[in-house]
Amino acid sequence: MQLFDFHQEFKLNNRVFVMAGLSFFKSIKQVCGLFAVTLAFMTVFAGQAHAADTVTTFKDESGWKLQVNGEDFYVKGVVWGYSPRNKNYSYNLWGESDDFIRKVLDYEFGLMKDAGVNAIRSFTTIPPEWVTYIYREHGIMSVINPLMGRYGYTIGGKWVPFTDYSDPLTRATLLADMLKIVDQYKNTPGVLMFAFGNESNYGLSWSSFEIENLPEGEQNTAKARYLYSLFNEVMAEGKKIAPNHPFSIVNGDIQYIDLIAELCTDMDVLGVNAYRGPSFTGLWRDVDEKLDLPIVFYEFGSDAFNARSFEEDQVSQAHLLKDQWLEMYNKAAGNDEEGNSIGGFVFEWRDEWWKYLQIENLDIQDTNASWSNEAYQFDWAEGKNNMNEEWFGITALGTPNEDGVYTARPRMAYDVLSEIWHLDPYANKKAAFNKAINELNMDYYALKGEVRFLKSENKEQKQKFSFTGGSLIGEMVVKGSDQDITELGENGLEFEDGQMVFLDFGFKPNESIEGQMTVNILGNVADKEPLEIAYGRRGLPVDVLIERPPLPEEEAFTEEDDIITDVASFTDRERVEVYDFQATYIGEKFDLEAFYHTPRYHWKDEGDFFGLIRETTDLGGQDIWNAKAPSGVELAGKGKWKGLKILVGPEVYWGANPKAVLKYEFNWGKTQFAFMHAEDIARRTDSSSSTAATERQTRQTTLYAMRDFPNDIKLELGGIIASDEKVDDPFTRIDADGNIILDEIEFKDTLGFRAKLTFPLLGTTSYVATNQAGLVADGGAVRRDFGVLDPTALPYSALGNKREYEAGMMMNFGNFMLYPRLMYRDNLVDANPSIPPTIGPGGVVQPGISPRDRDSDPFAVLDNREARSAEVFLTYDPTGASFFYAWDNDFAEDAEFAFNIGGNYTEYPTFTDANQFFFTPTGENASFGVGLPAEDVWSISSRMVFNPTTRAKYIANLKTGFQQSTGDPDGGTRKFYELSGKVVLGNKHIIEGYFKKDAWGPYDFNRQFNEVFPEQFKLDYSIVLDGSGDQVVETVGSGTRVGIRTLYRSFNQENEGQYQDGLNDYIFQTVFYFTYMF
Amino acid sequence: MRIEYRKQDYLATCKGLLIVLFGLFALSGCEKRDSGDGTVVNGIILPTDVVLNLFCENVGVNDEQCVLSDPENPFAIVATLEFDVNNPNAPTKFDLLADIPQGPTGAKARFYLWATALARRPSGENQWYTARALHELFDANSNPISKDEIVRAQALKAYRSVLDNFFGSVTFFEFGPNSLNEQVARDLFITEETGYERLVPLPVLNVIELFAEWGYRYDEENDLVFIINF
Repeated sequence: MQLFDFHQEFKLNNRVFVMAGLSFFKSIKQVCGLFAVTLAFMTVFAGQAHAADTVTTFKDESGWKLQVNGEDFYVKGVVWGYSPRNKNYSYNLWGESDDFIRKVLDYEFGLMKDAGVNAIRSFTTIPPEWVTYIYREHGIMSVINPLMGRYGYTIGGKWVPFTDYSDPLTRATLLADMLKIVDQYKNTPGVLMFAFGNESNYGLSWSSFEIENLPEGEQNTAKARYLYSLFNEVMAEGKKIAPNHPFSIVNGDIQYIDLIAELCTDMDVLGVNAYRGPSFTGLWRDVDEKLDLPIVFYEFGSDAFNARSFEEDQVSQAHLLKDQWLEMYNKAAGNDEEGNSIGGFVFEWRDEWWKYLQIENLDIQDTNASWSNEAYQFDWAEGKNNMNEEWFGITALGTPNEDGVYTARPRMAYDVLSEIWHLDPYANKKAAFNKAINELNMDYYALKGEVRFLKSENKEQKQKFSFTGGSLIGEMVVKGSDQDITELGENGLEFEDGQMVFLDFGFKPNESIEGQMTVNILGNVADKEPLEIAYGRRGLPVDVLIERPPLPEEEAFTEEDDIITDVASFTDRERVEVYDFQATYIGEKFDLEAFYHTPRYHWKDEGDFFGLIRETTDLGGQDIWNAKAPSGVELAGKGKWKGLKILVGPEVYWGANPKAVLKYEFNWGKTQFAFMHAEDIARRTDSSSSTAATERQTRQTTLYAMRDFPNDIKLELGGIIASDEKVDDPFTRIDADGNIILDEIEFKDTLGFRAKLTFPLLGTTSYVATNQAGLVADGGAVRRDFGVLDPTALPYSALGNKREYEAGMMMNFGNFMLYPRLMYRDNLVDANPSIPPTIGPGGVVQPGISPRDRDSDPFAVLDNREARSAEVFLTYDPTGASFFYAWDNDFAEDAEFAFNIGGNYTEYPTFTDANQFFFTPTGENASFGVGLPAEDVWSISSRMVFNPTTRAKYIANLKTGFQQSTGDPDGGTRKFYELSGKVVLGNKHIIEGYFKKDAWGPYDFNRQFNEVFPEQFKLDYSIVLDGSGDQVVETVGSGTRVGIRTLYRSFNQENEGQYQDGLNDYIFQTVFYFTYMF
Repeated sequence: MRIEYRKQDYLATCKGLLIVLFGLFALSGCEKRDSGDGTVVNGIILPTDVVLNLFCENVGVNDEQCVLSDPENPFAIVATLEFDVNNPNAPTKFDLLADIPQGPTGAKARFYLWATALARRPSGENQWYTARALHELFDANSNPISKDEIVRAQALKAYRSVLDNFFGSVTFFEFGPNSLNEQVARDLFITEETGYERLVPLPVLNVIELFAEWGYRYDEENDLVFIINF
């Protein structure tokens, strides 16, 4: 029904085949394989050399038919795509090895062939060679169906998420690109017909790529006119290129049928996605009367999940599909009815687990119903959704087989349709196929489907509590220092070893509750510090001083009542811990989620304009400190409570105080509103890392309003009341005359206002924004335009006490994007200088003044200091669908070469108050005592991604800058250079590393304490031993693999404790490691 | 239909008004401070009297913070700088201490100085100096006819806090390395060092009993304090 496919942009080259061929020639050991593959290719290419089939539509007095090479062809099709678990729309089967692709196709199409499927429709563009392979090997034809901008398109080098079909450049681009595709496939054996779009008429109404309720009426006729006229231009011109194939569109039901009749005069077949329940009702007659064209359903069917009983429902799905096919057969030519049915493609071949939420829960089959359809009476209820997007398959998504291909578990519908598809509606008399279909033993097929279901349940061990896998990690470390090696030779080296196991468990006591947890068990723990601080350090030995009475053997040497001071080493600390935990309850009125150290995202897309809820996805960064955020419980309302969220927990995001948050989102007319209140319940008692300061207990309330105006203008407004508990708190400041002023926080100091206007300007996407915040009106994290990979160095701050103005202009020139941004910020009250107090004659205290900090004072000027900042970044990305700044771009970028380069210059005209750090021995914050001085800082950076082949990826990051510490000013502003990169070859060999000169160490506290090193170096090589190479690119540390990693750090006089007056120039370590996933 | 249109107009007006009002309300917090805000505090006169009004029950005892809100406290907004190992020559609280007038006229100021330092940074040093300042105030208020029992009780609370909360603490200033629990014992048992009026009247048995009640034992001969394990 719905698709969000970033791979829709068509690739016209045969890169996969060329490079795969080269790799074979390089491998002498695979001569036999080469021979076999060469034969297969010869078969394929030989096939291509032949003329493609001639596919026509035909009409006589009995009705419409589709014919292939003159033979009647009733379409018995399925919508096909290969989406493994834990993958989403970005998964590209065609980037895999030829051998693997072949295994997938042989498995999938073998099952289809057995069932009698004769055609498929696919959302991904199947390369021509594989279209022919499917046809030659399995006799199944393919519809070539470019989506034609349905989910966005690159127009003039700029990715446009919502296509404007009235725009001349958009029309010209789409027309040219569609015709290229037609030309590419016109002679490809196995092509059945061409189709364009996917419910593109619905896209004129829906506001996102997620499925919504079907639009009622025809409210966007003006837009639709542009859409259908373009469709016809493409089909008219396409037929000149490929006269031997029919052309069609994929329409959402028959909405705008009058417009279609008026504008799509060159269309051969009306393609329809129809979700009308067991019957297509008057659709046949309406099309017959208004269009007189054959109808093919590009989507229809039913989900196999009962939203009412909340369980898999194979029986209802199969019955519904049986009724639909029976009606289609009756409407085929020769049955004395409309005679305009030529078949259809059942949606869909197999469940896709990414459809709901699309980037979350990819390894879980969500049971959320995302839209409502009354025609599906078996689970429909008033006011509730009943269409479960992840359950539409006539087969279920199983586990991988020995070839690594995800299996399909046939549902009852598969067996029923298999019987139906083996009937020929043209060869059999109407009464005969009606009898045959009506007399199908549905009870037998229900039992058969149930048995398969139970077997798969058993196979997957979906018991109430099950062991689902895990990993074993081992490492051997050798490390040393200049001083030790010089003094002790090889005896100066230290050797360590470590082992740990992660065990994953799943549980699903009923259909409403499911979850998972991971337990970590430590063996030895290798001490890799200071070069590497790693997860598991909780188990490192700890020495403590103890006092004890003398042992009997010591009494001879001690006096009476003597106490012996001894060192005791604890070596078996915390060997087992729960690493993470998550449980969800899906209810009718609300969903509930309990989470402990599992990733959670910000709420900025749902009205959290001030960033009160921060994203917590860097679990690896937390692990080194054994931090366990986020933890808490979230309740999300449904039905009449939709828009309500309540979040409570000891650390709902990393670093948060124990907190309760309430959010309510609602629409008022065309304006979206969101109300939020966040209340700290207590103050946390320890640092979220090692030295990050804790924050005072506080509260914040915000109101947000957003409205989209015509012409891509968007206005966002927000207000905040924060930290009202600080009202009447005193603070000191110094005025322009040098007087020391005793002041206090007033209510107005808790107020803040933020606004952002986004608008098109001279072909650019521009914005202006302001953030005005009272002295204590602290918000949260500011959202960066491009998320975590945004290269911006604009000095955003969560703190109040500011008047901030910002502007940016995103300019696109073909595949290039230039993005300058500016920020200006002023403080309402400046930082305090350091003037020591004195007591003068007569006992008069001149109180002096000192830099504030956020514990002793109600506010402090820190990263919210005055600033004038400007930056510009140039980005080159020829494949707009794999957005260069997407969080997963490291592995998703598919351009042969993409890069950015840019820089930032920021003037800080004033000094700051004093930053704080958490001092573990006392368990509280301590102040650095002095602030950072006024300074002008800058940075220049570039990121480059090379994909010379689909099997090789190179990523390089370069950065240099002149920047300040985040805490201790001692040591001054630093000029540094950094180069880091990653190379992935054949999804198997992974090399990554960095070289840094005069840069801070790798951890936050290094910059907090302004600790830099002359050189730092890291090189890591690993080889992946299982088929998870593509995931490894995404997540370092995953996959079964072995590797070796070396780190080096040099010292100079500035590193006092480590440099030892020149005796110790460097330290290094090498780690041999292996990870086994099971 | 007309009613419906009017209703929509009304709603639209309300929405616009709400947003504008909220914006104006929120903007009102974003003004710079001007000369009319706050109070100039370039000079604060130290108290010279010896009458101490307890601002709260545990003022001067760890971890009570109320002294920072005490309107009589001249150091409430004055930085009581601690020793900074990275900047050993920087001014500290001891420089302020040195400038407070000696004798009874400075006793109350000394109390506020150390109680303020204690509230800002709990340490044995700050607690002991606070106790010693209270002891001095008690002495200043004592004569053969009357004694200030409130200050006496407060000084004892402060001394006990040194033992209870900072038993192992030392101070390096003024005396050199000096164990504070023993200093507390000397202040209560001996008093010759300061010459202050005894907080616990003779005979010494009274002090021994009080120490025992607190859970401590003083070995006067070896100048050692022990914790009594009950």
